[in-house]
Amino acid sequence: MYVGGGLLLFGAVVIGVVETLFGSPHAVTGEGQIVHETLVPLEVRSFIILAGLLVWLLYAVYKLTSADPPAATPEPAPETAD
Amino acid sequence: MSTQTSHRLETQLLGRDVSVTLSGPWTAYWIRFLSFIMGWYFLHAGLDKLVNWPFDAGWFVGGAAQASILAPIMAPFAEGAGLAFVNVAVPVGQTLIGLGLIFGGFTRVAAFFGAFLMTFFYFVNGPGGAWAHGMVNGDLLALLLFVTVVVFGSGKVFGLDGYLRKTAVVRNHPRLQYLLG
Repeated sequence: MYVGGGLLLFGAVVIGVVETLFGSPHAVTGEGQIVHETLVPLEVRSFIILAGLLVWLLYAVYKLTSADPPAATPEPAPETAD
Repeated sequence: MSTQTSHRLETQLLGRDVSVTLSGPWTAYWIRFLSFIMGWYFLHAGLDKLVNWPFDAGWFVGGAAQASILAPIMAPFAEGAGLAFVNVAVPVGQTLIGLGLIFGGFTRVAAFFGAFLMTFFYFVNGPGGAWAHGMVNGDLLALLLFVTVVVFGSGKVFGLDGYLRKTAVVRNHPRLQYLLG
């Protein structure tokens, strides 16, 4: 849970701050032409963010298959007249 | 009978008490509203492709994707039977995801596949220009909003999942609740 979010924050935000201050805040132009003077290649940032998403996915699969199942929704009690 | 509107959520993160008080009505309303908007986002995208059939994803899978980190896993779908599958799966999938979120049926499954599709849109559209203002863009936010729906669910709020949860199948297999809202 924390690792997935940490990787996503690192790839998107932390490296984004570094690029904004010291590198290229606009690594891609509107026409899709990649500007190459980034400190961290876009592919590396992409893989870091993708890794974060995959960690979340693995955690979700673990919860789905290994953790205790949630309590069943109780059957509604029949209404009684009083 | 009194109706409690605020609820204390007792929990910890990283060993620290981070309990929060949530407004019950606002929480239910907001996750339902969010699901509805995300549902229309994808239902519109799916119906738009189906109404204007045929849909050809070749420019995306075979073209734009080649500049992304997902190129290796998308290459088999760039032509032939793989592309034919994508041409049907994307519009039909978007439509079903949209319907699932709007009507609150199999909400978490729908939202998961919404996030799954947005992962491809994010990494393929990015190098093509969608990262012109940084890597946090609409595609990533939509992906995270789908994840938000997966985390919180919403099908119980005026949704079909509220009825599905009460069926004998789900009561006998509580793990199925993870797939509902």
